[in-house]
Formats: sequence, C-alpha cells, structure tokens
Amino acid sequence: MQLEASRKPLTLQLKVGLAIVGAIVLLGLLAPWVAPHPWDTISMRTRFLAPNATYWFGTDEYGRDVLSRLLMGTRLSLAMGVGATAISLAIGVPIGLASGYFRGWVDEALMRSADVLMAVPPIMLGLLFLAVTPPALWKTALAVGLVYIPQIARLTRSVTLSLAGEDFIQAAKARAETATYILFREILPNAWPPLIVEASLRVSYAILLGSALSFLGLGAQPPSSDWGLMIAEARSFLDRAPWIALAPGAAMCLLVIGINLLGDGARERLDPRLKSRVAT
Amino acid sequence: MRKLVALLTLAFVLLAMPVSSGRAQGTLRVALGTTLSQLDPAKTTIGDEYVYVHLVFNGLSRIDRDMTVKPDLAESWTASDDLKIWTFKLRQGVKFHHGRVLDANDVVATIKRILDPATGSRARTNLSMVDKVTAVDPQTVRFDLNISYAGFADVFADRQMRIVPKDKLNELSTNPIGTGPFRFKSWSPGDRLELVKNPDYFEQGLPKLDGVTLRILPESATRMVALESGAVDIVWSMPYESVEKFKNHPTARIDSVSTPTWDGVILNNARPPFNDVRVRQALALTVDKAAIVELALFGQGDPTFSPIPPSHPYFNRSLKFNPPDIAKAKKLLAEAGYPNGFDVSMQVPQEREQRVRVGVAVRDMARAAGIRINIERVPFASYTANVAGKAQMFVDGYFARPTIDTATYAFYHSTGSWNDQLWHYKDARIDQLLDEARKTNDEGARKAIFEKFQAIVEETVPGLVAYSAAHVNGVSKKVEGFRSTPMQWLELKRVSLKP
Amino acid sequence: MAAYVVRRVILIALVLVAVSILVFAITTLLPANVAYLILGPFAQPEQVHALEHKLGLNDPVWLQYLRWAGAFLKGDLGESTLMNRPVAPLVFEALGHSLLLAGVSFVLVAVIGIGLGVVAALRHGRALDHTVSIATYLGIAVPEFFWAIIIIVVFAAWLGWLPASGYEPLSAGFSAWAKPLIAPVMTLVFGHLAHVSRLTRSSMIEVMQSPYVMAARAKGLPERVVVLHHALRNALLPAITVLALDFGRLMGGIVVVETIFAYPGLGRLVVFSIQNRDLPTLQAAILVVAAIYALANLVADLLYAFLNPKIRFGDAA
Repeated sequence: MQLEASRKPLTLQLKVGLAIVGAIVLLGLLAPWVAPHPWDTISMRTRFLAPNATYWFGTDEYGRDVLSRLLMGTRLSLAMGVGATAISLAIGVPIGLASGYFRGWVDEALMRSADVLMAVPPIMLGLLFLAVTPPALWKTALAVGLVYIPQIARLTRSVTLSLAGEDFIQAAKARAETATYILFREILPNAWPPLIVEASLRVSYAILLGSALSFLGLGAQPPSSDWGLMIAEARSFLDRAPWIALAPGAAMCLLVIGINLLGDGARERLDPRLKSRVAT
Repeated sequence: MRKLVALLTLAFVLLAMPVSSGRAQGTLRVALGTTLSQLDPAKTTIGDEYVYVHLVFNGLSRIDRDMTVKPDLAESWTASDDLKIWTFKLRQGVKFHHGRVLDANDVVATIKRILDPATGSRARTNLSMVDKVTAVDPQTVRFDLNISYAGFADVFADRQMRIVPKDKLNELSTNPIGTGPFRFKSWSPGDRLELVKNPDYFEQGLPKLDGVTLRILPESATRMVALESGAVDIVWSMPYESVEKFKNHPTARIDSVSTPTWDGVILNNARPPFNDVRVRQALALTVDKAAIVELALFGQGDPTFSPIPPSHPYFNRSLKFNPPDIAKAKKLLAEAGYPNGFDVSMQVPQEREQRVRVGVAVRDMARAAGIRINIERVPFASYTANVAGKAQMFVDGYFARPTIDTATYAFYHSTGSWNDQLWHYKDARIDQLLDEARKTNDEGARKAIFEKFQAIVEETVPGLVAYSAAHVNGVSKKVEGFRSTPMQWLELKRVSLKP
Repeated sequence: MAAYVVRRVILIALVLVAVSILVFAITTLLPANVAYLILGPFAQPEQVHALEHKLGLNDPVWLQYLRWAGAFLKGDLGESTLMNRPVAPLVFEALGHSLLLAGVSFVLVAVIGIGLGVVAALRHGRALDHTVSIATYLGIAVPEFFWAIIIIVVFAAWLGWLPASGYEPLSAGFSAWAKPLIAPVMTLVFGHLAHVSRLTRSSMIEVMQSPYVMAARAKGLPERVVVLHHALRNALLPAITVLALDFGRLMGGIVVVETIFAYPGLGRLVVFSIQNRDLPTLQAAILVVAAIYALANLVADLLYAFLNPKIRFGDAA
C-alpha cells in the first residue's frame, strides 16, 4: 500500500493549514531576533499600555511588550505540543505494534494497562502526575506525553491488526525475518499515514492540555511567557487590560485551528478512505 | 422544531422570574478568596479564617481601630509590681451560644488547650511566659508568668486566643460555640459559611444584622463581579489591581486603611548562599522598595524596614531608603566568593498574586548584580510543609500583630517561635534589645530601643521586608456603619444594611 | 448481550482497582509529611511520631493500601485532612453538583450539536455552513479556561446579565439556582459543540446522498419527512458514539470550569485536594470520577451496539 496521489494539487484546506502552522513555527524559531522588545524586563513607565504603534499588542502589568512575550511563548507551546507528542509516539507506537502483532496475553496485558490510564480524564491524570513534584514546563510536557500514550497505542494496534494479515507480512514471516524486522521495517512504514494524522491532532490536544495545566499553576513558572500562564496572570486585569489575555488566547486558537486544518488536509490527501476520525 | 421553541421560551420565562432570594433581610454577604481549613480558633492560620473567628468568638481583651487594647470578656485586669502576676476580672453574665454562662474555668481550659503541644496552635509560643493559669473564683483568672511582661493583656486580643467553652472542646471543628456577636449556623466546605445573629450577645443592642454569610470565591474576577452586581455586599481584602475601578463607582466604594501587615523576601540565614551577611546585603542593594510597592500593590502601601509600619510612632525616621547600588552589590558578592553571581530558586505562593509580583520584581532587580533567581510557584498550603524555614529563599507575608512585641519578638529573637519558620536569624544585639523592650513600660525608652532594632535589621538583612500593605475592602453602598480595621478582620457588630 | 455486559462490568471493577492502586502509589510519592499537615508546623516531634503511628504511616505501603481499600469497600472513605470531616458526604455532594453541570451541558451539546450539524449539512457549501463551521471550530480550538474568562468579562462584567459564580442551592428559588449555571454550562457547551456538529454534518451529507434517501425522495415523500425520519436516523449513529465520548471529555472540562466559576463539584474538589495534599479526599474523588467515566463509556458502547444494526442483527443487515 504505497502513497497515492502525490501528484494531486494541494487542497485549500491543506494550503491554509500549512500557511498558518508554517508561519507560526517560523515566528517561533526566529522569535529572539524578530521580537521588537525584550520579553522579560520590567519597565515601570510602560505598564498597561493599550495596543499602539510601538507595542502592537500593548503591554502587561510589568510594562513588558505582549507581542514579544507572545513570540517567545510560541516556542514554549510548540515545544510542549511536539515534545509531548514525541513522547507519546516513542512509547505508544512500540506498545501498539507489539500488541497488534503478538496478540495473546501481551495484547491483553498492554491494552488493559492502557484502559487503566484512560479510566481518568486526561487533565486529572496530568494533575496527579504533576502534583508529586515542583512544577516545571518540561515536566508538564512529560506528563501530557504520558497521558496520551494509550490513545496512540490503541491506534497503532488497530492499524497493525489490519496490516498483519496482508500478504507481504506473510511473505516476510515465510522468509523467517525477526519480529523486530517485521514490526519496524515492514509494518511501521506502511502504518504511518494514519499515525501521522493522529499525531498532528495530538499536538493540538497536547498544547491545549499543557496550557490548561499551566493555567492551574502546574506548568510554566513566572516570568515565563507560556501562553497558558500569560492568560492565568492576565485574569486579574481583564477589565483594565484585556489585551494581555486576548493575545495569547487568539494565538492559541490560530495555532490549533492551523494544526487541525493541516491534519484534516493531510488525512484527505494520504488516504481519503479513512473516516473522519474524531480522535479520543 | 416548534416543540423546541416552546421549551426554550418556557425556560426563558422561568429564568426571568424575579429572584426569591430566600435570605433574611439584613444578612450581610461577604466574599472571601480562600476556603477555611479550620473552624477551631486555636488552629486558624490565615486571614480568611480570622474573619470568621472575629465574628464568632471573643478574647479577654480586644484591639480597637486605633490599635489600642481595650477590655472585652475581661472587664479589667491588674498586674503585680514585677509584672509577673496578672489577674483578670471577667464580665458577668456573658453567655456562650449554647446558653451556658462563661466562667473562669472556660478561660483556664482555653489557655491550657493552647499551651498543649498536641493542639498544635500557633499561639502557643505567645504564651510561653505563662507558668500557671488558675481560676481563683468564677469571675477571676490569675496568670503566673516566669518573666516580667509589660504587654501581657495585649496578647489576648489575638485571633487564636479567643475563649471557647470547656464542655465543647471536641466539637470546635464541626460545631463551633463562642460568645461572639454571631453564631455558627452551617459550613459547606469550599462554598459558604453561614452565621446568624446572637440575640444574647453581651453588648446591648448589638449586632444589628440578622446574619452574615461568608462566601468562598477563589477567582478574583468573580469577586469583583459579585460586588458590582450586588451578589455580595463586601469583598474582603480586595485585590489592589481592582481598586482603581471602584474609585468612582455608583454602587460600591473602597474602604482602605494602612496596616502593619507586611510582605517580604525571606532569606534562609542558615544555608548558603544567604548565610553570609554580605550576600544578603548585596541582594538588598539591588532592590528598589518604592518600585515594588507600585508593582505589587499598585501603590496601596508604603516601604518599610521591618514589621513596624511607617505610620507607627516607633518608626525610625532617620533611616533612609537608599536607591539601588549595583556596583557595591557586585563588590560584596565578589568578596563573599561569588564574583560571577550565583543561581538560586525562590518559592512564591501561587494563590497570592501580590506576593508573586514581589517575587518577579525582585528577580528582575537582582539580575543586575548577577543573582539569577528561578521562580517556583507553590500552592500556599504546602508552604508550611515544604517551604517555610527550609527553602533558601521565598516570598512570604504576615498579618498585623496586636503589638510591636508580638510583631517582632517571635520573628527576630533567636528563640522566637516564628524565627525557625522564616530566616533562622541570630543576632545577640537584637536579642538583647527585644528582651529589654519587654521589661519596660516607658514609651520613650521603648521607642529608642525599637529604633535601634530597625537600624540593626537594616544593616544585617535577615530578609527583605518590602512594605507595609494597606488593607482594602470593597463595600456596597448599601452597607452602613462599616470601617476597615488595621487588624484586617471585619468589624460587623454595628453594621447594618440599607433596605 | 448479557454476557457482554457482565464481562464489561467485571472489567470496569478491575480497572477501578488498578486506578486506586495507581492513585495510591502516586500520592505516596507526594513530598509532604501528612502528620505535619494535620498537626501544624509547631507540633512536637513526639506528637508527630504518635500520629504517624496512629495513622499507620510507618507501615509498608502495600499494607497501608490494603487497609485503605478495606475501609473503602465498607463505605468508610476516610476523613479529609484539609477539612476535618468525613470524605464520603463531601465527595457525593460534589458528585451531584458535577453530574448536574455535566448532564445539562451534555444534553445541550447533543441537541444543539446535532441541530447545527443537520442545518449545516442541509445548507452544505453555503454561507450558513461555513459560519457554523468556523464558530464551532473556535469553540474547540481554544481552551475552556479562555472561554470561561471571556464569558465572565462579557456577560457578567460588561453586560451584567449573568452572575459570575457558579452555585446557589435550589432552596433559594428556581431562578436563583438556574442563573449561576448558565455561564459554566455555556462555556462547556461551546467548547464541545464542534465534535458533535462536524461529525453529524459529514455523516448527514453522506446519508443524504445515499441510494436509500434517493429512494425515499423518489417515493414522493415530503422533504421534511425524508430528512427527519430517514436521513437523520442513519446519520445519528456516528454522532451518538462521539456524544458518548464527549461525556468523558466533559468530565475533564469541568475541572477548569468549576475552578474558575467557583462551582462546588468534583473537578474543583480534585484540584483543591491536590493543592492541599488532602490525600483521602483526592483518592476518593478520583475513584468516583473514574467510575463515572467508565460507566459512561459502557453506556456508550451498549448504545452503539444497540443502535448499530450490524452488531445487533449480525452481518446480514
């Protein structure tokens, strides 16, 4: 089952998604050079300025430029999303592969463990993991990654199940290839289209969950400009300076929408037969 | 579809119906920001709990708005010449909420309970000078102290020292009984505490209100909205950033008062790097306290050197607030062995935004000298277990204490009970000064002693006491007779609601 | 079918046991000395040791767990270290409040979500479709806490239409009870509409183009009947699966929403107990949440099996 339709023109959805995500990633990478003002320096005279020509998104309670903080925060959100998803994939995919290929008690054990992790809403599981240790953003990314392992594992498993019966797998078995070879050189390369789509959606979920945890105080610490933290700190000033909260909120909205468009567009392109899965 | 529309209309109509408020006219609703963990007065520790304690319980003495100590449950007291034997005469006919009349045995039981380490009361060390407490007769209590202590009567005005009934000691956490103007009715943890008028209160004609409801609303935006919409009548300890909004408001006003309550950066004097006085002094040299007042309190406070506020007669006016001197700070650090500065973690309490702001401000200021601070927000509840007295550096603050002695001794004296929870500070000169102050009632002598105290504290920097904060309440214009008090509890005996 | 249900219920019970072990294990790692928390910072070391002994904190962890589990099964959920009162009434009262919030939100998400999906499908490709798409997309693209704050600012602070805090008892009157619920419900509903509406829409579009519907039209049935009786029933199936999943998501969403609106439900209880290291309450609350979650999933699976003709009648359908 090779990739088809590499020659089809990009849909509008895909183009818009790519544009949005691409722009944000670029801005995030270039943030230290693109940011017009320092993101971390207190300045008494410039507090609570409404958006104007010098400070495009206004300033916050310490006089810091909101736009610059937003740009620096982009890296944090992207890192959270990608980092957490990478962890989920790194652990979840092998589990799913093993589960789907070996079946039997391995499958039962792994899937029941996944059930246990999925028995509690993700945010509560995240809260639980983070409660045992002083907060730090990388720990939040780790916790979010752990929380989403079961979903990745399940998906990988179902894809592996459907592939395991295929002829080319039987042929590899007949050739007495090792299980590792079959899993990683035969199954995985063919399993990745749905995985990629799922992973992209996971990134957006990870960003949302990570920012919720930051909002509750269990993620980034001041004076970090993580978007969730920015919104949490801006709460007290909503009536006099709403831009402090609105900017990161809008940014998060844009990023998540961009990722979703990209994911949906990629799914349609890679395998239109995949039902529009609303990921769990 | 039509059915759906009909349903929605019905719902709309029901919702638009006038609210049957279900509350008695004359019940004051107060918004607090933190839930109460304790209903037992001896065990209370936070400002929100003190609001409740002050309404339900009385002490032998009380503190007035002008910070002078007046009789409360005790109508008078006398001391022996050596200030070691104190005799309190109790008021007659004061009834507890369950009907029994207060007598000296209740006082003895309360005090013994506080002195018992098993109770775990913070006030225990306030009574460390008490050798014996006895009920001489039903109206008289006698205290034998092991040292001369001039301000002994003042101690009883404090929150944890309130008198409780000897026969209800085990129920204080679930069904508290006191002698105060309001009686406990119900407590829904995390939601609301309901109090009703005590018709047998010993001050004639008081209280005027039918009841008080304390509502827990952790989100500050919610508290502001509640005040504006009239859902609550008083917002206790309003966040400073919201003060601006209510300056010219149609239905609510700001009532503020300056207090000895202080916030500061506590440095652990027993652990590196702050065990070296030069490092502490270097940090102090980077800090601009006026700017901190602006940033953290939005101007609602004043810089200070110690828990003694600028409004107090003992404040040392000859000491200056020096502007930051980064060069000198760097020099001191180099001398202490940190030529390139150092990294350190600082804990700040998550739910206290103004203290978080103090932390962020100090971090920014200290950077200039090479002190690189990493901020960690920690739930306030875990401060006691993990932070206080253990961390190298943390932001903390303390409520107004009834007297200058109680505000300083426990914190700065090497044997002070709060010293270990803070900075582990030891200075023989300070010990001597504080001990001397206890022995004299002469105002002039005490003033001189405390001025010296402030000078030494400024020189040796146990921690950076940043400011004395104002206490601000948001009050609906329907509330009559309310004034904020520097002790930060709510005085509601004479308050009434306009119909 | 019955066998399937029994198997699932047993599985749920096992999962709950595993969750309780997981929670217990994690919470024993919490860096806080429980005895100091209860007695306060000025406790003497002897008191601390005595209390630790009394609470069995010096026993091996597995023994502590068994003791706790045994008590739990007998209905003794322990005592809250934060509030000095039994956990069971606290947790069950909070549960009731959360179920109310989640339940009302769930119903609205279902009704409005399906309604919007149908409408968008019928006007597919046109302005209304795009508007619904964008609006619902906004709902899920931004975290709930953001919408909660916006709703507080717009509806409570600026317009003054709604109260900003989330709970009055029913005894205060229907209107007083219902009004504070509107804002948190709005937040939850807005945050979850897109899942249901998008799926309903695409499912509906597919069904509307199916031979089955074309046959119904060819029979001359009025369009409304075609849509409501024929198309919708078939389009609903995927939507129902998603709805069931959404109940679980709502349970997650209540954590932040209850915290912001000061609504005394399980979500807020979990956050409080974590912040204050109140282990007994935390353990009980999380178990209750897990149980509800599992039951919701079970109901969803059963409903799906019941409604899906393929499963119900075998592959012959």
